[in-house]
Amino acid sequence: MTELATPRDARSGNRHVIAPVDEFPYGERRIVTIEGRAIGVLNVGGTFYALRNSCPHHGAPLCEGVVKGTMADTPAHEYSYIRHNEFITCPWHGYEFDLATGRSLVDPQRTRVRTYEVAVEDGDVVLYV
Amino acid sequence: MTTIEAPRAAGTSDPRKTGIIDSDVHPNFVNGIRDLTPYMTETWKNRLGVSGEDWAKGMAAAQFTLPLDYLYINSAGAYREDAARPGMPPATDPDFTAQHLLDTHGIYRAVLLAGQCLGIGAMPDGMVAATIASAYNEWMCERWLQNDVRWRGALCIAPQDPEAAVAEIDRVAKRDGIVAVFMPLGQILMGEKHYWPIYEACARHELPLVVHPSGTENVFAKAPQMAGTPTFYLEWHTALGQIHQSNTLSMICHGVFEKFPELKYIIAEGGFLWALEVMWKLDRDWKGLRNEVPWLTRPPSEYLLDHIRFTTQPFIEPHDPTHVAPLMEMLHADRTLMFSSDYPHWDFDNPDRSLQAVSKELRHKIMVETPRAVYGDRLD
Repeated sequence: MTELATPRDARSGNRHVIAPVDEFPYGERRIVTIEGRAIGVLNVGGTFYALRNSCPHHGAPLCEGVVKGTMADTPAHEYSYIRHNEFITCPWHGYEFDLATGRSLVDPQRTRVRTYEVAVEDGDVVLYV
Repeated sequence: MTTIEAPRAAGTSDPRKTGIIDSDVHPNFVNGIRDLTPYMTETWKNRLGVSGEDWAKGMAAAQFTLPLDYLYINSAGAYREDAARPGMPPATDPDFTAQHLLDTHGIYRAVLLAGQCLGIGAMPDGMVAATIASAYNEWMCERWLQNDVRWRGALCIAPQDPEAAVAEIDRVAKRDGIVAVFMPLGQILMGEKHYWPIYEACARHELPLVVHPSGTENVFAKAPQMAGTPTFYLEWHTALGQIHQSNTLSMICHGVFEKFPELKYIIAEGGFLWALEVMWKLDRDWKGLRNEVPWLTRPPSEYLLDHIRFTTQPFIEPHDPTHVAPLMEMLHADRTLMFSSDYPHWDFDNPDRSLQAVSKELRHKIMVETPRAVYGDRLD
């Protein structure tokens, strides 16, 4: 199954083949440098994501962070863990970013990281930059 | 030396009339709190950083441990060395533990008190403590109580959150094998109204409330506090009775036993001879200071004798063994003491040896009759 992080018609930029999809299993991530930019490509349970490997806060290597869910907004003294594996957590300060949109949870308008289009095409994981 | 004739030597007699009851045994985890994660929701595993997934290993919370006396070094090792087996720390294997403790000493029933959860009353977040207590109860029921009918359990609660504690008591109290409520101790003295909903629930379910040294005293800010912070384990361990003295006075003076006349309260491993001075001094002062606590309708010592029971381990070893008998008489030990071994800890009391200085009749009260009166039919 091919899953796209962005709609096909929104795809733009230069096409870069990262690896055959057979060699890029679930849970794996790669940091690639393309056109001078460090970009993280992640396979999260079969869904591919690509983000700039630099946290907009202090420049940490964001794509080395953990992928997990988050706690829902709940009344005081209640917890609810939701959206498992939809976020990447900055390895320095713990900011959570939505893998699909690059927007941070706490400041989605201003604190966001660039995302890139990534797809599986003809058996290859392909990144558009 | 005379060999003790333990009640089990009565041969074919009814074990419900003769079987030894051990009121303080500690089951342990193999991998700390991680043993409890199968009994937690995904949300709580994430909240505590113990989800077991790779990412959790990178979290600071993955270092999360349960509060105990890690800052004191017990040079004797804290556990009986012969209680461990390869890959299995002491009291982690119910089968081996049953063989090692119950079979060896002919113990009829042993009450499990939360091993590594003794100190959760010191945790700053009562919801975390309550979650751990619930998971412990599931773990204990599944791993121990269902394994051997001789294991009996004290269900564990979080003292920081009385509402959650009552819910937990209501949830678990009726299960097979539950004979008591174990409350890890915290900073607030036990007479305070904070705890009264817990006492109401214990009385309503006819379950005795058990306390025990928490292993956190003065090491954590929300732990029970004693006078000053000792330097050495020896010093700290010997001073632990201070906590129980203060709590006993607090409960009596606040009228807890007037408010909850059905409440039974067990002090495990807290010592007991301090109770003599507490009773005598309370009664003496109360005669002049009764107006401060007019809700006490009887001499304060009567509440202690009627409601509070003490476990024996570590039993007293006076320099002159003949002093034991008069001390037992002063303490009304025929109704206030209950045998305990504290297996698998280093200061274990052997049921065949530790009560040698006590008469056979009294020994039977301590090992059989009094615990039976406290726990009731839930033992069988």
